[in-house]
Amino acid sequence: MGAGMPLTDDERLRVAHPADPRPTPGQDAEPLLVVEGLRKHWRGRPAPTLDELDLELSPGEVVAVTGRNGTGKTTLLRIIGGLVAPDRGLVQLDGIALGTRRRAYQRQIGLLTPGDRGLYARVTVARHLDLWARLALLDTQARAAAISSVHARFDLADIADLRVDQLSMGQRQRVRLALVFLHAPRLVLLDEPATSLDVVALGFVRRAVDELARRGGMCLVVVPEGADPGLEAGRALVLRDGRLERA
Amino acid sequence: MSAWRPQLAAAAGIFQRDLTVFLSYRWRLGTQYVGVLFSLAVFYYISRLVRVEAFATPTAYFSYAAVGVIILQVLQVTLDIPVAVRQELVAGTFERMAVSPFGPVASILSLFLFPIASAILTMLVTLTLTAVVFGLDPSWSRVPLAIPVAAVGALALGAIALLFVAMIVRFKQAPGAAYVLAAISLVAGFYFPVELLPWWLSWASDVQPFTPAVDLLRHLLVGLPLRASAWGDVARLVGFSAVLLPVGVAGLSLAIDRSRRLGTLTEY
Repeated sequence: MGAGMPLTDDERLRVAHPADPRPTPGQDAEPLLVVEGLRKHWRGRPAPTLDELDLELSPGEVVAVTGRNGTGKTTLLRIIGGLVAPDRGLVQLDGIALGTRRRAYQRQIGLLTPGDRGLYARVTVARHLDLWARLALLDTQARAAAISSVHARFDLADIADLRVDQLSMGQRQRVRLALVFLHAPRLVLLDEPATSLDVVALGFVRRAVDELARRGGMCLVVVPEGADPGLEAGRALVLRDGRLERA
Repeated sequence: MSAWRPQLAAAAGIFQRDLTVFLSYRWRLGTQYVGVLFSLAVFYYISRLVRVEAFATPTAYFSYAAVGVIILQVLQVTLDIPVAVRQELVAGTFERMAVSPFGPVASILSLFLFPIASAILTMLVTLTLTAVVFGLDPSWSRVPLAIPVAAVGALALGAIALLFVAMIVRFKQAPGAAYVLAAISLVAGFYFPVELLPWWLSWASDVQPFTPAVDLLRHLLVGLPLRASAWGDVARLVGFSAVLLPVGVAGLSLAIDRSRRLGTLTEY
């Protein structure tokens, strides 16, 4: 970072929002997310997208997964998130296997899907937050607390009464991220979270992930090879030929 | 009860969302009722033009057909639900419902609340229009009894709509919805007595829940005599709903599970 040299976005971000020291996951800590022998073969593809994939995440861990386009990063997140069923393999979160005790499993998951979908154009930000807090089955008090928390964390006060069709792409992404963290999930799955975000908004995501890790949660973030995940990951993995390898 | 409170709050949230979206289209409410007014006007003038044995007076036929118009509104609103689910799938909002603790099946069932409430409101507005504009004298004192009948009728319709939703989720299309609407309006006696149907078609008026629903609503709303006993109609209506609803929910659950495997819940 020489004098007179322009700062990169990431460098500016670190100055603006220095990350809190993250606790190093204990070496002996039992993994909370266990993925074993995961396989998914999409129809029409010559080879399985995920093939005997294994992954473990311990409390407080932030893991980044990169890979070329089409290697199965989004499929992996969607399977762990409960949106796509694997052909075979085990996904277990805090002792609950995917496909069993659905409600208890999904309570622990926050999933950000890629792109800018998943919002109602003619509904306000405040109404979105209220609806998703209800769908998370939070009681009245917890709903109010959760909404107030993400309002502050993602700086939504100014846009709370605006409809989604009045928001910029970056503001929409902030709302989508707020919905992911709203119910204080144990495991946050982020698919290209930095999409459309400015440097300040990226800081909000980093802080939210730091807080998550501090309270023993976990984050799995996927980005295409060569892209900046926008987060400080403790571990970086590459998805190649259906399996995860150290970057 | 407290264990159900979060689920009820979630369902209420979906209702509020649907109401918000509906009201955001300012002209929608008005245009919906203008359409009803035109339908009523058509049957009003037909009743003045044609004299048939089955009805003693023109007003008797108009009141008969007016209830048919009301039921058709309910049917139309209910069969719009598969279209709404398709929009959720295309917009990616269904993904969020699918990963929520509330879940996809409960979310889809909650999508029925606003259309059913809207259908009941439409029923009341249509009845008011028949009285104010066309001089009919509805049995206002029996209207409160008609509301639960309409709600149970809507549940039976909802069960059929659930099967169409299952087809939308699984196959991305439900080509039969428009035909079902047309077929039901023909065999359930919306605009003419089912006794006029040929023998080879008349059985169809007994094997679906709409004939007893129409019969009961006609009796309650405009005082026309029942074709069968009231309890018999109620039993048939409740029986159809009790059988069709679990079938609809099971079909939907199967469709969602299959779509999870195929990945079409996300890539619609």
